[in-house]
Amino acid sequence: MAIAEQKLTSVSPATASSGSFPWRTWLATVDHKKIGIIYIVSAFVFFLLGGIEAMLMRVQLGTPNNTFLSADVYNQLFTMHATTMIFLMVMPMNVGIGNYVVPLMIGARDMAFPRLNALSIWLFLGGGLLLYLSFLTGGAPNGGWFAYAPLTQVQYSPTAGMDYWILGLGLTGIASIAGALNFIVTVLNMRAPGMSINRMPLFVWMNLVVSFIIIFAFPTFTVGSIQLLFDRQFGAAFFNPAQGGDAVLWQHLFWFFGHPEVYILILPVMGMISEILPVFSRKPIFGYSFVAFSGVGIGFLGFIVWAHHMFGVGMGPMANAFFAAASMVIAIPTGVKIFNWIATMWAGDVRLTTAMLYAIGFISMFIIGGISGITLASPPIDLQQTDTYYVVAHLHYVLFGGSILGLFAGAFYWFPKMTGRLLNERIGKIQFWLMMISFNITFFPMHIVGTEGMPRRIYTYEAGMGWDMWNFIETIGTFLLAFSVLIFIYNVLSSLRNGEVASNDPWDAATLEWTIPSPPPSYNFLHIPVVNSRRPLWDAKYPHAAGDDHHGPSSAPSQVRYEYTDEETEGAKDIHMPSLTFSPMIFSGGLTVASLGFIYINKDILGLPTRVAALGFILIGIVMVSIAIRGWILDSRKDSPYLSQHH
Amino acid sequence: MRKEARKSTIPLLVLVLSCAAMLAGCANLPATTLYTYGDHATRVLDLLTPVFWMAVGVFVIVQGALVYTVIRFRSKQASAPVPTQIHGNTKIEIIWTIAPAFILLVIAVMTFRTQAANSYQPPEAMKIRAIAHQWWFEFQYDDGKIVTASDLYIPVGQSVQIQLEAADVMHNFWIPKLAGKTYMIPGKTNYLAFKATESGIFRAFCAEFCGESHGNMRFRVIALDPAEFAQWKTNYATTPAATNGTAQALGLTGDAARGAAIFADPKKQCAACHIIEGTTAKGKIGPNLTHYGNRLTIAAGVLPYTTDNLANWLHDPASIKPGNLMGRVIKKGMLKDQEVADLVAYLDGMKFAVNMPAEK
Amino acid sequence: MSATSHAHDEAGQAPLVGSLGVDSRKLGLWAFIGSETLFFTALITTHLIFYARTKADLAAKGMLEHMDPKLYLGIDLTTILAAILLASSLTMVLALAATKSKEWPKFRFWLLATIVLGSAFVLGQVYEFTHLYHEGLKLAPQYVYEGETVKSLFGVTFFVMTGFHGLHVTLGVVWLIAVYFKVRRFAASPENPMDVELVGLYWHFVDLVWVAIFTLVYLI
Repeated sequence: MAIAEQKLTSVSPATASSGSFPWRTWLATVDHKKIGIIYIVSAFVFFLLGGIEAMLMRVQLGTPNNTFLSADVYNQLFTMHATTMIFLMVMPMNVGIGNYVVPLMIGARDMAFPRLNALSIWLFLGGGLLLYLSFLTGGAPNGGWFAYAPLTQVQYSPTAGMDYWILGLGLTGIASIAGALNFIVTVLNMRAPGMSINRMPLFVWMNLVVSFIIIFAFPTFTVGSIQLLFDRQFGAAFFNPAQGGDAVLWQHLFWFFGHPEVYILILPVMGMISEILPVFSRKPIFGYSFVAFSGVGIGFLGFIVWAHHMFGVGMGPMANAFFAAASMVIAIPTGVKIFNWIATMWAGDVRLTTAMLYAIGFISMFIIGGISGITLASPPIDLQQTDTYYVVAHLHYVLFGGSILGLFAGAFYWFPKMTGRLLNERIGKIQFWLMMISFNITFFPMHIVGTEGMPRRIYTYEAGMGWDMWNFIETIGTFLLAFSVLIFIYNVLSSLRNGEVASNDPWDAATLEWTIPSPPPSYNFLHIPVVNSRRPLWDAKYPHAAGDDHHGPSSAPSQVRYEYTDEETEGAKDIHMPSLTFSPMIFSGGLTVASLGFIYINKDILGLPTRVAALGFILIGIVMVSIAIRGWILDSRKDSPYLSQHH
Repeated sequence: MRKEARKSTIPLLVLVLSCAAMLAGCANLPATTLYTYGDHATRVLDLLTPVFWMAVGVFVIVQGALVYTVIRFRSKQASAPVPTQIHGNTKIEIIWTIAPAFILLVIAVMTFRTQAANSYQPPEAMKIRAIAHQWWFEFQYDDGKIVTASDLYIPVGQSVQIQLEAADVMHNFWIPKLAGKTYMIPGKTNYLAFKATESGIFRAFCAEFCGESHGNMRFRVIALDPAEFAQWKTNYATTPAATNGTAQALGLTGDAARGAAIFADPKKQCAACHIIEGTTAKGKIGPNLTHYGNRLTIAAGVLPYTTDNLANWLHDPASIKPGNLMGRVIKKGMLKDQEVADLVAYLDGMKFAVNMPAEK
Repeated sequence: MSATSHAHDEAGQAPLVGSLGVDSRKLGLWAFIGSETLFFTALITTHLIFYARTKADLAAKGMLEHMDPKLYLGIDLTTILAAILLASSLTMVLALAATKSKEWPKFRFWLLATIVLGSAFVLGQVYEFTHLYHEGLKLAPQYVYEGETVKSLFGVTFFVMTGFHGLHVTLGVVWLIAVYFKVRRFAASPENPMDVELVGLYWHFVDLVWVAIFTLVYLI
């Protein structure tokens, strides 16, 4: 078996070109696994940047009346921290892991549209770099990640920061919609024979749900930010009340996207947890359909709760009551998930690997974040707690204690599949406990200072409010938290070189990605498996496990293989995979350059109008996009059996 | 004094935590939402208290179940047999779908009751108009006959209805111990009605991010006994007499008469932005400074009111409150030390006696 | 037809039994149209919100008769434009029918007709925009019409909404032209009917959006 694996991996072009790092096979790749890795690595870099921003803010808030940061810099930092963590860290990290794992889980050789997939990653990176470029060109966005009107109008936010924000997020938004379309088609249309919808792994389910949320939630945000851009660049006044616009309209457009966005951040992670818990409990997920459909339910309900972010704007008691009720209803499917996860472990053989610890940590912290959310769904209580540190605590329990701990679970779980080596478990466990403790040191006191009246987004506060000690403790917690992330980085770097070599199936898992070598060859599956149950690999390994009458393989075992003869491996050379192409990268580069130009279409630098240079950038961008489209068409012809002979 | 304040059991928990960590004993909490002195905030607290205990119950049960499960079913040996493969149980699923629904229904019903009470606008309430600016609050009584800033005087035991507006960007009006937040939105008018149940000075904030000095946008609420409040209003409506006194600031003695002349001098630009009733100062951009000597704070709640702090502010407003409009006009060094002292004497001289309650 | 499903074919795999059995690109396009529907819903809603306010405002000033923004938008030209776009949907259907029966000269004729009609719509809209601009309607919250200053976001919401629709039509025309040349060059390719079907699907959607905008903005 080991020999066969060696043979299989040697077919992969990445390992075939030895010596220096094969830049070309990465930059021009259309392989969902490589694209997934690029997503993961870049999201992690943005995670570090967002973390540094958070630490600078915590230093400023560590003591009252501190002058470490100026008010303006602080405002830029909290805007960029949230924007980074949401759009450049958790979302792309989910997409990256999904990109890598989903096609493997459904027995496919790639995403449905490999070139579109490449376009998504480069657009995301273009958008992220554009956002960070703003730090060097006169000021990062400073209007908050929610960009409330009319503070983001040009007279109140005169730097180009918010323009960078609009266009940078515009690019990542196109990337997200393109990615979501790709996931929808891949999941619906590329499943291996026999993998019916009700046999899909829950991680795949949640990616499907999230993709639908993305395509329906992002357009209102796109429209809102286009309108904001017209306000800022052409004086359109959509959201400028002084000229007849409407500040509250922005909030509706923003939160109609913004609240579903929260589920975009958490549902894929819930999917990961639903994969990891059964594997390390050596049991199937408890209540598969309930877990799957509660995800669907959360997805639907997520679209009718947006205005619970707006209880204070004066919508009237009836509207508030509706959105309050809808928000409370969401707690039901969320609770169902938690109960099912606990029941999955119940009576199992619970193996406390690092991945499992993180998964349990996720549940534990998510319980706190979920409960603290209930008071925010109640308008009268919300009006005391909103815009205070209580909300900061709540959202970090959900998005750090939830999403990020879950992502660490996913990282420890799938790292061996992605790299062929296991992460060090001992270091991993130390990191887990340090992270759990420091996370709670950092964020739990925020419930208290919030209840004691500390507003959010203030760059300084006066002494003697009863907030000093807690803020100091929080700041210390941040440094411990940063240290635990450093431990993780060390673990990754050392394990990549010296980590224990992973077999196909190091965790005794259940789903298809563990039937193929670690890391998988470029074509993933030599033979597309035929699936006859929810846990094809498990059922192949344990055909007679007790209590498995209804869901087991019974008459038709899944055709899952992970041992191949040499001849078969040789045959892998004939598997045609789409060719390398730089076109997606040039396309997104063109859009990024054009966006940069668009930012400066109505600005001036040192008194000189920038319009000519801006138009030049836009022109260069258009030329790049045109070149890319031509290249794209030519490249896709190469892979078409019907068009290539004419070329 | 404290006995009438509404207390809840949550502060106990919070205070126990605080006390455990702080050797100096229990902290003074000027902005806590857990000691309330207003009907609006008290109703919220009365709703929060049962919800909090329900939350604690749910937390203990669910977190307990999680921890118990992990400990009890932890793998004890590497080669443990494969456990029974249980795929689910519809009956249990239905139970734990419905059980939380019941708890939520209870919370929802209590929520709607509180919400109805808190959104009610009593017709007899005293009307005060509050206008938020970057980064200070303006208050108007009696259809604009009385205009003040940064200190909101209200009568105890009588409902007040605040008409909330914003002059530039969005702000949020919040007095933690008296009432929950309501946004102040340009182009839209909101109303907030509440009643202070006890006299006192209360901390208040702008709670919505509103630009560079959002962190420096605060105010005080002074709840006075009705008679005292009526007296305050009468005094405030009286045009301040020309003052001739002196005052000490940063070691210099200022002269009020000279200060008045400086204030009125167009070259110094004070009068371009500020109003002082009974003088030629008619600027409408900045806060109305009539009876400035009565203010409790300087620069909208940033510094306590002392003549030294006022002098520091006049020397260099931008260093105390980054981005503020006055700082763009009055740069450091523009006013000489003696001029500042004179201005301080002038502004500090305009005051009348108020029987101030204690800070709560 | 994606490159990877082709990979399945070439490796001699079983057909995708569990999957939907719909062309991947078609599935993707349907999802995209779902997304676009919300995009235009948000634009149209914004327009309607501000339009209702302008109307109320002008009615209060007793200027409704004289200042109803609808008066700017000569209904004749836009009716012709709507007719042109609807006709282009018909020619699109005929073009698709011709690909299915492999009648290439007929197909080319109908697709060219669609391209011509689509371009005519875009040109008509450009003419309408310049005309309105000269009459006084601006991409600004305040403009002068017949000597009187109007404070209204009508121009802003109108130009942004119809402008983005026009952009979609323009991209549709570009796509149609691309398909035209592809089919002309690779007449034998079995992918052709699907290529035409896809662009047709998008074209009908853009057409439908216009029907919605025309009804809500010009007729009501």
